[in-house]
Amino acid sequence: MKNETDAIQIDAIKTSNLTKRYGQKTAVDQLNLTVREGELFALLGVNGAGKTTTIRMLSCLSTPTEGKAEIYGFDVVQQKDEVKRRVGISTQDTAVAENLTVEENLRFMAGIYADERTAKGKEGVNQKVERILEIFHLGEVRRKIAKTLSGGWKRKLSIAMAIIGDPKVLYLDEPTLGLDVLARRELWKEIEALKDDMTIILTTHYMEEAEALADRIAIMIDGKIVCHGTLAQLEEMTGEKGLEKVFISVAEGKGGNHE
Amino acid sequence: MNKTLCFAKRNLIEISRDALSYIFCIAFPIVMLVVMTLVNESIPKEANMTIFRIDSLSGGIGVFGQTFVMLFTAMAVSRDRSGSFLIRMFASPMKSSNFTNGYILPMLLVAVVQWLVSFAAAVVVAKVVDYDVKPQGLLLATVVLIPSAILFIAIGLILGTLFNQNAAPGLCSVIISLGSFMGGIWFDVESSGGVLYKICKCMPFIYCTKSARAAIHLDFGTEAFLIPLLVVTSAAVVLTIIAAAVFNTKMKADLS
Repeated sequence: MKNETDAIQIDAIKTSNLTKRYGQKTAVDQLNLTVREGELFALLGVNGAGKTTTIRMLSCLSTPTEGKAEIYGFDVVQQKDEVKRRVGISTQDTAVAENLTVEENLRFMAGIYADERTAKGKEGVNQKVERILEIFHLGEVRRKIAKTLSGGWKRKLSIAMAIIGDPKVLYLDEPTLGLDVLARRELWKEIEALKDDMTIILTTHYMEEAEALADRIAIMIDGKIVCHGTLAQLEEMTGEKGLEKVFISVAEGKGGNHE
Repeated sequence: MNKTLCFAKRNLIEISRDALSYIFCIAFPIVMLVVMTLVNESIPKEANMTIFRIDSLSGGIGVFGQTFVMLFTAMAVSRDRSGSFLIRMFASPMKSSNFTNGYILPMLLVAVVQWLVSFAAAVVVAKVVDYDVKPQGLLLATVVLIPSAILFIAIGLILGTLFNQNAAPGLCSVIISLGSFMGGIWFDVESSGGVLYKICKCMPFIYCTKSARAAIHLDFGTEAFLIPLLVVTSAAVVLTIIAAAVFNTKMKADLS
């Protein structure tokens, strides 16, 4: 766990009254959030709580209706290009090119993120691909066509593709959804290994996942963050032991404090 | 490698690993070339029907093949839209033009390869039926067919953007039928005259076929070649601009 009182850390993500409405429905409501550099911040919530919408706004995929969000000081509406250079996203569904091999998928994404101004060239891309293959232990499937991979391998590839552009902020939207226990644990190890290099926002339905990986946890209900903090802080707030009980307590309105 | 070429390469690999691409984009036009030549051989010479003669037929087949490139464009775009792949790409530093050009370029390459294969098949068929076809005309048609390829790719891009994986191929089938019927590929629209010809003249398809046939005949007349080529090129430019705008607008609407 990161030291909560570390005062010199930089704000990687900062939102102020971030709101998204679809007609009459408010998907994200006045979200005020600060995530520090290098943190793994988990967003918990039931379906429709606004987690994915939040991530979409923070990755410039969706424009906020109101409020402001900044990634390393760059505005997600006004400075999209700067933001996009700094973020990587792994969506709920495995977003891979199905007819490309694992290596081709990585090479493709590395090419998209290669900075023409620094002209890293082919060698830079090759090195990046090899590094990512090693980090994610994808070497044994590097020549396999993506559509023939198992769910676990596809998820790994999807996350690998998200980090190949060396993002400073990584969004993992329910990365282990639908995976069996072993594949999930395997993926946790990969995510754990990324923690030191980038700021990660993780959305998940699995309490044990957030417990195992997150430095801080926020619980979203109906588009609002109703409480956030370290697990110990959440337990103290609610008087419950364990994240599942904390979550149920908050979801049923027994505990938590509005931000 | 820039982003457009990167995306184009990915699309080209995706197409090249789909067996249907070879069947519809390469094999089917060649089969039609052979079948229609056999039909032509069965027509009595006195009928003076030249539309299926290899020099006319190959131009029509060139355009007919491009309608399948349109189908593949629509399928590629609608398939990408149906999953999360494009969402990931929209969160990347790619610009709108990277996407549209990245779809157009590989399809254009497929269209050129398709024509070159048809061109080789036309030379062989011409030898077999003992008809003197001008190879330089066929080569020229490779260039002349580029605007019409872009036109069909743009239509595919529009349909793939606006409709889902199930609807887009169906609508493409309508355009394939319309294009080959109104483009004068399978019958002589000009000789039929009347309202049908007037309608055909309002569509770009007939100009695609006319300019390709004129190139193969090395006929550079204003009526036969220049005007049809100008019409096709203008339509290709307009439809490409529309396709880019539709793609951009629809993607923004889908994501918001």
